[in-house]
Amino acid sequence: MISDCFLSWGSFLLNTNLVIILSSFSQPGAAVSTSNDTYWMHQAPSLQVHHPVPPQNNYQSPLETKPLYETPFQGHQRATYPQEMNSQSSFHQAPLGYRQPTQTAPLVDSQRVSKVQIPTNPRIASNLPSGFTKMDKDSTAASAAQAPAYVSVSMPKPKDHTTAMSDPGTFPKSLRGFVERAFARCKDDKEKESCEVALRKIVKKAKEDNTLYTRDWDTEPLSTVTTTNVTNSESSSAQLSSLQNKSPTRRPKSRWEPLVEGKPFVKPASTFSSAVKFGVWNHQNENNKKSSESFQKVDAATGFKPTYSGQNSAKKSFQRPVKRQRFSGGAATAIDDEASSDSDKDLTPYYSSAMALAGSAEEKKRRDSRSKRFEKIQGHSRGNDLTKPKNANVGNLHSRRATALRLSKVFDESGSRAVEDIDWDALTVKGTCQEIEKRYLRLTSAPDPATVRPEDVLEKALIMVQDSQKNYLFKCDQLKSIRQDLTVQRIHNHLTAKVYETHARLALEAGDLPEYNQCLSQLKTLYAEGIEGCSLEFAAYSLLYITLHSNNNRELLSSMSRLSEEDKKDEAVRHALSVRAAVTSGNYVMFFRLYKTAPNMNSCLMDLYVEKMRYKAVNFMSRSCRPTIPVSYIVQVLGFTGAASEGTDEKETDGMEDCLEWLKTHGANIITDSNGDMLLDTKATSTSLFMPEPEDAVAHGDRNLDVNDFFTRT
Amino acid sequence: MAYVSMGEAHRRITEYLNRFCDAVSYQDSSTLCRLLSFSSNSPPLLSLADALNVFQDASSLIRQSDKFSEYGEILAHLFRSLQSYRVGNLVEAYLAFEKFANAFVQEFRNWESAWALEALYVVCYEIRILAEKADKELTSNGKSPEKLKAAGSLLMKVFGVLAGKGPKRVGALYVTCQLFKTYFKLGTVNLCRSVIRSIETARIFDFEEFPRRDKVTYMYYTGRLEVFNENFPAADTKLSYALQYCNPKRERNIRMILKYLIPVKLSIGIIPKDELLQNYNLHEYTKIVQALRKGDLRLLRHALQEHEDRFLRSGVYLVLEKLELQVYQRLMKKIYIIQKLSDPARAHQLKLEVIAKALRWLEMDMDLDEVECIMTILIYKNLVKGYLAHKSKVVVLSKQDPFPKLNGKPVGS
Repeated sequence: MISDCFLSWGSFLLNTNLVIILSSFSQPGAAVSTSNDTYWMHQAPSLQVHHPVPPQNNYQSPLETKPLYETPFQGHQRATYPQEMNSQSSFHQAPLGYRQPTQTAPLVDSQRVSKVQIPTNPRIASNLPSGFTKMDKDSTAASAAQAPAYVSVSMPKPKDHTTAMSDPGTFPKSLRGFVERAFARCKDDKEKESCEVALRKIVKKAKEDNTLYTRDWDTEPLSTVTTTNVTNSESSSAQLSSLQNKSPTRRPKSRWEPLVEGKPFVKPASTFSSAVKFGVWNHQNENNKKSSESFQKVDAATGFKPTYSGQNSAKKSFQRPVKRQRFSGGAATAIDDEASSDSDKDLTPYYSSAMALAGSAEEKKRRDSRSKRFEKIQGHSRGNDLTKPKNANVGNLHSRRATALRLSKVFDESGSRAVEDIDWDALTVKGTCQEIEKRYLRLTSAPDPATVRPEDVLEKALIMVQDSQKNYLFKCDQLKSIRQDLTVQRIHNHLTAKVYETHARLALEAGDLPEYNQCLSQLKTLYAEGIEGCSLEFAAYSLLYITLHSNNNRELLSSMSRLSEEDKKDEAVRHALSVRAAVTSGNYVMFFRLYKTAPNMNSCLMDLYVEKMRYKAVNFMSRSCRPTIPVSYIVQVLGFTGAASEGTDEKETDGMEDCLEWLKTHGANIITDSNGDMLLDTKATSTSLFMPEPEDAVAHGDRNLDVNDFFTRT
Repeated sequence: MAYVSMGEAHRRITEYLNRFCDAVSYQDSSTLCRLLSFSSNSPPLLSLADALNVFQDASSLIRQSDKFSEYGEILAHLFRSLQSYRVGNLVEAYLAFEKFANAFVQEFRNWESAWALEALYVVCYEIRILAEKADKELTSNGKSPEKLKAAGSLLMKVFGVLAGKGPKRVGALYVTCQLFKTYFKLGTVNLCRSVIRSIETARIFDFEEFPRRDKVTYMYYTGRLEVFNENFPAADTKLSYALQYCNPKRERNIRMILKYLIPVKLSIGIIPKDELLQNYNLHEYTKIVQALRKGDLRLLRHALQEHEDRFLRSGVYLVLEKLELQVYQRLMKKIYIIQKLSDPARAHQLKLEVIAKALRWLEMDMDLDEVECIMTILIYKNLVKGYLAHKSKVVVLSKQDPFPKLNGKPVGS
């Protein structure tokens, strides 16, 4: 009966509306209002927005809400009311179009009481097994009265699809009745599960035989479903698992989620409950149809794990209904590709083992536990599969290990546990890999100790990188893998600092600021933990970075105030502070002098500001000086002689050429005087100077990175 | 802790419960404020706290009567917080107070009129103070302080409750100011932006409608934000508003406003009288003002160095540093005046050599390149009218108004 009501609901409500409505129930607190009555009053005329009114209020004060129910009953504006009516009056209203209201009204009244509990938190409610057992009873009891209701449901979906099968709207009504009858016979979840599998098979077969529309479903014996229950579930799971002979079927919700959750089977429990939640039977069907459709499509096109979309669309829609569209149909393939591209390699072994179990009795057992998992039985042991326990074994403390083991079990069972709840201390791995070189690969699963290098090997790896003659990309890759191994083993010591420092310096050298920033933020935490390192060197870098690149006064002030008197005596820090002063006052002469005397990698950071500073300086000069300025002076003041440290005359002229080139590209006006000296005509330049578009700008934002390298990197 | 008998404890707790419930039912805001104000350390509250520590099972007392149990959740958390507060366990006290505040806000939402606004202010204030204390405790235990951040998000929630139509909206600015205080303390000033946006753009708020006290605080903080952004005209308006409407008896507040207003005024060329600095004990600015008057670069640099820490922390360091250009301007003007006395005909030609010499007297060693650089900047920023002849190393001043005054406009505009 409940499903009956829901059904009529769904027939005129858009799915999204339902979502809004249902989610509004999840926060009854928001609507606990003393002014509930006024709420209704002012809502009545507008009838536009749905307000989350806690249902109990309506039952407590039926007198006041009553008029509201009745208007749509008598009036003709039914269509404009749907959102308004949904929380309770739809029971009355919805069937109106299809059946005699007099007939349904009493039924509805009898339902009300039990209905009250239902719109709580839909997520929880839909997961409760009791939710559907109750529904089953109801539907069994009322099945006779019910059947016609389904028959008369109107299909809002367009029917112009060429492939009849893909359109949920053309699903034969009689088949609907058949399916409903079949479910009505199920006594519990387990039966329902197998029943659904069986139904699926029947429908599929019918589709293949093209008898879907010709068969008389009303008279189809239900025994075909029930008798074949057990065998069906077994064989179909075998069938499914054989279909997906390749790699993972879905990307885990989180990278760290145990892979067992990725089991490739359609979850009837959740699918079904999602239907209860949406209260839309035809949506449910559509869902199934869509999935089976995309099933075939995907299967045919790519041979990729066909169940992905099937399970996921159902499961995701149950979790996050709004995004449902994305997960069904073609989009699934894209996601699949993405998932497989980087995780296939290391996940396959796990999956193959999981798959081996699939069709066996083990699977059946697992299903049992899955359907029970919301009952929160914790001690239930099933710890024969997968990585988590294995990793946990490495934890050194006994108690830790115990927690980890228990945790991983709970984890396996609940599946929905948040990542934040996990005790990472207990799950820290200790590596055993002895290889020095290792490519960086973003982890998509729990780390495997066999591929993680222990500290002493990492130390060697760092030296290898430092001595390596290869290019920055190689080093960056290696350092990233070292960082990863350090992270998964939770190593926080001088070595960690050294690795990040090395990487930060290399990144600076290569002008890779994003990577540099990552390293710097790590280094800040490391230094804050009291790990010795070159903290002053990096304090200077960060000071320069803020001054030259982030242009944030507040940040600058706070990092300046953090420096102690002692720190300010350090050469690098002092240099950085002077640069800061030169930049804020615009003193270009000072800036380029400091540029030449920069310690450490300070000049690398300044490099990135040179262009701006030169532009500023020439702008100042051309506005303030009259009539001319010799280019040789500009060469000297604006650091074009940077390479002249070797002191040869050739270098000087090089500087001259560079300077002329720079001035020309920035629109400066150069004249030659009687002695043949080049002069900057300031008056003309002051209006013509411009900042050219950087020629070497690249779409991926890092001109030091070759496009191909960029792609291999991502 | 004085000994309290069981009976006495029972009496005190019941009395408090009665007063609380009466205050709520008679909508007596001022009594409610007193009952909630932890940081006042008022004797009745302290004796209640002692009583609670003797009489452990206060929640059963609350449950006994329907009158009390209506506010059972509020009171239970409040008692637990007070208990922990009394024994000096501030983190626990904060946690319980946060729960209390949540329950109180929930209840407040249901009260249609805004009678309890003052009490809500007390809750907002107390939670911030308590969070600061709890953070201090956490830091001293070597843990990361995070309670103030939590208090910030709770205050944001309270803001959400008030920011709507109806009589409660006038309270929004008080909460905003508490949020400002929190964010400034946390150093997450950028979070202020969203609140400012809703105060300044939302149609439900009419700024003049808010209480004066809150308007002054709001203008003070937004003015400070403008100082960070070096948007001096806006900072000037806001801080001047704050100064104008600030209660003249609150010297400390006036001083706080002036601490930011003076650098702002200096930046737009307005120099305060010495009395002002003396009256409000703003000695850190005395030397800077002198340096500006005299064109004494060395004095400015010394003053900045002397109070570097203070200026960095209050965030005016960079603003004051920029006064350097005005000091140069003053110095050049002086040279110009002296030259005019000796040789009026050629007074408008300032040799870079001469300027460098003047700077050397001030113990500022600069070569000609650097002096030239500073001169170009001064001319570019329109602090000096004229041009620089590079070849002859001379600044040629305009005959008309060679050193334009800023007249309330920022440098370089």
